Amino acid sequence: MTFNLRDYGANIWARANKWQRYLMALVFIVAAFSLPLLENTFFNTPNTPFVSVLFYPIGLYTLMALGLNVVVGKSGLLDLGYVAFYAVGAYTAGLLGASLKLNTWEVMPIGIALAMLSGLILGAAVLRLKGDYLAIVTLGFGEIIRITALNSPAIGASMGITDIANPPTTFGFKFDLDNPESYYWTILIIIIITIMAIRILSIRRPGRAWEAIRQDEDVAELMGVNIYKYKLWAFVFGAAVGGAAGVLFASESMFISPNIFKLEVSIFILAFVVFGGMGNIWGVILGAVLLSYIPERIRFLSDARMLIFGLVLIIMMNLRPDGLLPRKKREKIKSDKKDSK
Amino acid sequence: MTNPVILELKDLTMQFGGVKALNQVNLSVKKGEILALIGPNGAGKTTVFNVVTGVYKPTNGEILFNGSSLKGKSRHRITKSGIARTFQNVRLFGDMTALENVLTATDVHNKSGLMGAMFTSPRSRREESASRKKAQEILEFIGIANRSDQLARNLPYGDQRRLEIARAMGTNPQLLLLDEPAAGFNPSEKKALGELIVKIRNSGYTVLLIEHDMSLVMDISDRVAVLDFGEKIADDLPKLVQDNPKVIEAYLGVPADAS
Repeated sequence: MTFNLRDYGANIWARANKWQRYLMALVFIVAAFSLPLLENTFFNTPNTPFVSVLFYPIGLYTLMALGLNVVVGKSGLLDLGYVAFYAVGAYTAGLLGASLKLNTWEVMPIGIALAMLSGLILGAAVLRLKGDYLAIVTLGFGEIIRITALNSPAIGASMGITDIANPPTTFGFKFDLDNPESYYWTILIIIIITIMAIRILSIRRPGRAWEAIRQDEDVAELMGVNIYKYKLWAFVFGAAVGGAAGVLFASESMFISPNIFKLEVSIFILAFVVFGGMGNIWGVILGAVLLSYIPERIRFLSDARMLIFGLVLIIMMNLRPDGLLPRKKREKIKSDKKDSK
Repeated sequence: MTNPVILELKDLTMQFGGVKALNQVNLSVKKGEILALIGPNGAGKTTVFNVVTGVYKPTNGEILFNGSSLKGKSRHRITKSGIARTFQNVRLFGDMTALENVLTATDVHNKSGLMGAMFTSPRSRREESASRKKAQEILEFIGIANRSDQLARNLPYGDQRRLEIARAMGTNPQLLLLDEPAAGFNPSEKKALGELIVKIRNSGYTVLLIEHDMSLVMDISDRVAVLDFGEKIADDLPKLVQDNPKVIEAYLGVPADAS
């Protein structure tokens, strides 16, 4: 393949000066904010309101893919229980909204904090494990959260929590069924903040530490990286993003139940990360947007939908095993084996 | 030389199952010297490095660095206290640039963490620019500054080896452990590397060197210690070690008539 979208994009960015970069970023942001205008065009999703699809699944899954990417893509920690943090955020919103009458924006920091705390607890317990073992234990953790919720009458058991309040009207934007774009724009703002945070971290100490851990954690430690601490940070950062997604999800759908937080969600989000290109935020965003949009777009195929979806996945992973936009690598590697041990 | 001892191994024993990789090894490295650690393959040289840097916990014995024991210290703390190493087979962070490789190491003495980086705290900003300046200086010192923005995996082999040394120096060590830095080099490259190691020593580092190339070892080291089957059989000035019958025996075997 001679044309390489990632390098093409990276080159344009590299050649641009500061103002051109601001301009490009602005154009992208404006374009993203005006996506609801595409309703009733070719891109419209049959059977589901387009603007709602922009929020869920597209926006939410993109956000969570970005969070998981820090854990899996940047630091190389295979986390199969990411849905747990999403659940913690959502349940925080559901419970605190009802009992303390807090609105969504007040719950948001608490939801994020609790998700981070659960990330810290889980991480402290399991991050001494590596590779497959870590994957299995995190998978178990995700299921434990769901099953605990399922068996706790205090938080609704299998009935879940209903009548969660929508966010209050903010800056003149109404959050209800008639104004789905408000949710989309909110999640977009959170996504933009997350992207900025990840980009800043990537070029500084934490990003280097994560990258070093992913490539060779033994050497990283011998070069003075406190690998345990930075793995924990990666987990906690990912958890925070998942928690934010959960809070917003609960207040939009007004209803949550343990059924929503199944293992499949973790697997899906991991698929977005891998499909888009592990470690590259633009790839991950592209992967998440495409993979959460396509099933909605072809919903008219009903049962054949997931078949087509799976086929797309298989074909893509054969053509581009590193994902749509793989991480920065300016040359094809010949000596991968040598470095990885 | 009456320089103070910087690293001291006391009765160090490292046992893997039934194999004694190191058997009661005593060794002291003096500040400011180049001490070469030689011996046939499998003699336990790299094991010494692994035990000193905390990769293995010694079965017995003690390691003193600047007079205090390294026992129970985690690897990154040992590095932070002033010991850094390179690896026998190059183990760079291949997907990072040369500069980033060194920066990862210089970070060990930085205090700002994730929050500082995320919110661009003054300290994080200050440390980041100081680190970049220092990393660039190290690359210049080693002579690969022109490579600083290239990915480590794309560097020529010789520069990868030099970058390993640069990365170790990034941790600002007092003691530098070099594990066969000249492996795979041709004679002129070896000579240049020898000069580099001397230059490193002259700028205030202490070097413990594992090397197979005897002419390089004899040229640059102040002292040579010889390991054989996990035991130290000699520890002396280079030319005295060369003539030591035990050393000759370890390398060449016993003459037929002597047995």
